[in-house]
Amino acid sequence: MDSAKQADESKKGHEKPRSAKDRFGGAIFVVGSLLVALVAEFLLPRLIEDSSVRNILMTICCNAVVALSLNVINGMAGQFSIGHAGFMALGAYTAALIVSAMHTSFGGGTLPPTSFDHDYLVAFGHSFAIVPVALLAGALVAALFGLLVGLPSLRLRGDYLAIVTLGFAEILRLSVATTRLGNDETVGEAVHAIGGPNGFFGPVFHVGSVFLSSLGGKKGYSGPDGAGVPLYAGPFWVIFITALVALVAWRLKFSGWGRALRALREDEIASEAVGVDPTRYKVTSFVISAFGGGLAGALYAIMRDGNPVVQPDSFTFQTSFDAITMVIIGGSGSVTGAILGAVFVTVTVKLIELVQHADVVQNLSSSLEAHGFSLDLNALRMMIYAGVIIALMVLRPEGVFGEREPFFKKRMRTREGAPA
Amino acid sequence: MSALLELASVTKYFGGLCAVSDVSLAIKKNAIFGLIGPNGAGKTTVFNLITGVYKTDKGTIRLGATDLLPLRPSAIARAGIARTFQNIRLFGQLSVLENLLVAGELTKKAGIFSAVMRSRHHHADEDLHLAEARSLLEVFELGDKADDASTSLSYGNQRKLEIARAMMLKPKVLLLDEPAAGMNYGEAEGLKKQIRWLRDTFDLTVVLVEHNMQVVMGVCDEIQVLDHGEPIAYGTPEQIRTDEKVLAAYLGDESLAMGQGTDVPAVELPVKDPNAPEAHS
Repeated sequence: MDSAKQADESKKGHEKPRSAKDRFGGAIFVVGSLLVALVAEFLLPRLIEDSSVRNILMTICCNAVVALSLNVINGMAGQFSIGHAGFMALGAYTAALIVSAMHTSFGGGTLPPTSFDHDYLVAFGHSFAIVPVALLAGALVAALFGLLVGLPSLRLRGDYLAIVTLGFAEILRLSVATTRLGNDETVGEAVHAIGGPNGFFGPVFHVGSVFLSSLGGKKGYSGPDGAGVPLYAGPFWVIFITALVALVAWRLKFSGWGRALRALREDEIASEAVGVDPTRYKVTSFVISAFGGGLAGALYAIMRDGNPVVQPDSFTFQTSFDAITMVIIGGSGSVTGAILGAVFVTVTVKLIELVQHADVVQNLSSSLEAHGFSLDLNALRMMIYAGVIIALMVLRPEGVFGEREPFFKKRMRTREGAPA
Repeated sequence: MSALLELASVTKYFGGLCAVSDVSLAIKKNAIFGLIGPNGAGKTTVFNLITGVYKTDKGTIRLGATDLLPLRPSAIARAGIARTFQNIRLFGQLSVLENLLVAGELTKKAGIFSAVMRSRHHHADEDLHLAEARSLLEVFELGDKADDASTSLSYGNQRKLEIARAMMLKPKVLLLDEPAAGMNYGEAEGLKKQIRWLRDTFDLTVVLVEHNMQVVMGVCDEIQVLDHGEPIAYGTPEQIRTDEKVLAAYLGDESLAMGQGTDVPAVELPVKDPNAPEAHS
């Protein structure tokens, strides 16, 4: 059997023109999501009057971005990173600063509500200049930190990597939350101790601490004039960006790169033996994951109907843990699973918040307080999570979908289904 | 002809234990070279040193003009050395076809951005590797199992898949670590044919670590015997068959007194006579 000839023949067999779905699938998806997002921008505020419900929908999208990005490192690469909130915080603060600055340069003022008048359309137009810049900057800053954390720490495995990533996120959060320039200027004194303001580290340290303290500490950053970060990203941006991220996550998974990453997760020595360089692939995956985390944080920070104050408390360990829950519930490595997990976690969190604020619960709560009890339904959330995760561990340790993509069976196989 | 793969005075310590001591091999192009010895002789360690899994303490390893010592395992694979593993190492969650495609990453031209944009280069790479992988699967009679999970294959097929994956690298040298483990007589005969066929078809050089003497004696051109990390004999299968040191290493010295010992056992005898004096220190 002449295998060279055979390879030649089968190669020819594959040079047949691609199906329309194959060639234009991506473009159709992008255009389609663009249209859906545009329609949502103008219809959503009319259809859903309650801004807290709109907030749930938008938060689902943001969380989907969180889960999809964490899925790259935790699911596909099999590295246990529990510091995703750190990257989200970087993206959020960066985006908030940039949006605030650009908003001022566009003339400032309060953003119009969603009544479709001239002002609204102008603000929507401005968002095309502001939002992409802010999101990209937030994502890039997070990716840069991802590289800085990833390079040294990806020599670590399992628990050790988890500790480093957790430490990174907490250091970041606490730096923002606690840096204050008081009368005694504690940071400044530290500078003097190092080598005085004339040294190299002194001025750098000083500028850094002045910058950090300008972020509002524990109260959070609420724009340059304290009126809140202008929330430029309406449903259009949130939905469109989420769709793009889902597409990129999908294509990364079903590419040679994603395959090599999954191989690395399965067996590092064997993948090295077939030429996959572990360090390169792991660091790249970490940077990509951080990029996505930063993007998600940036979306949170400037999402309409969201919180106009970027607070360090939004990026605690709890946030990282929620992200991990999303990935694990849906199934590590599954793109559809990550989205499902994001929907589940967001809906439970938000539904419980809604129920907590309902009149019945509030009345019950106050009457119970009279008897010395307290009623906090938020505690329910951990019970629901715990129940679901324990049930999954017993019934489906690989998550709801495992690594599969349930609605796209054919794509899990190779593109040409027919044998060569 | 000068050697393709050359090891010169290679030495490796694990703590105080000398796992490989002063081993020199010169493996000619297109040879099928056997590396044998009792358990713990350091055969797999030699493979791990060649492929860069372990760092060599002393000596040099060269592939043609390339010095392999400073290279990382992935770069050594790139340089043209592919291997299989004693205890099969497949990518469990990946399908049979995907296991092969991972090895295609090596020659890929398109980067990660091409993958995201699904550019022409990306498709060209994927199509090429897909065609190569499929024809290799046909060669190894795994074509109909392309989409199965690699862990669902039978033991023999998993071994075949490992060799197919190694061949996907288009290597110059193929290192086979006990490919006949767990095979019966008929399967081992088939393996002998396959190894020769691979060498002839793909212009390969094969290095074989094997306990199964039926395979080693039947297929190898030259054999190097190791014992306790030290080279004790080198020659053609006929020479090795009758080498006293080799027989002593495998059977203990007393066997020499008992018979002429031309019949090297098909499976190694693990028990060494404790009363026999050590043949080599």
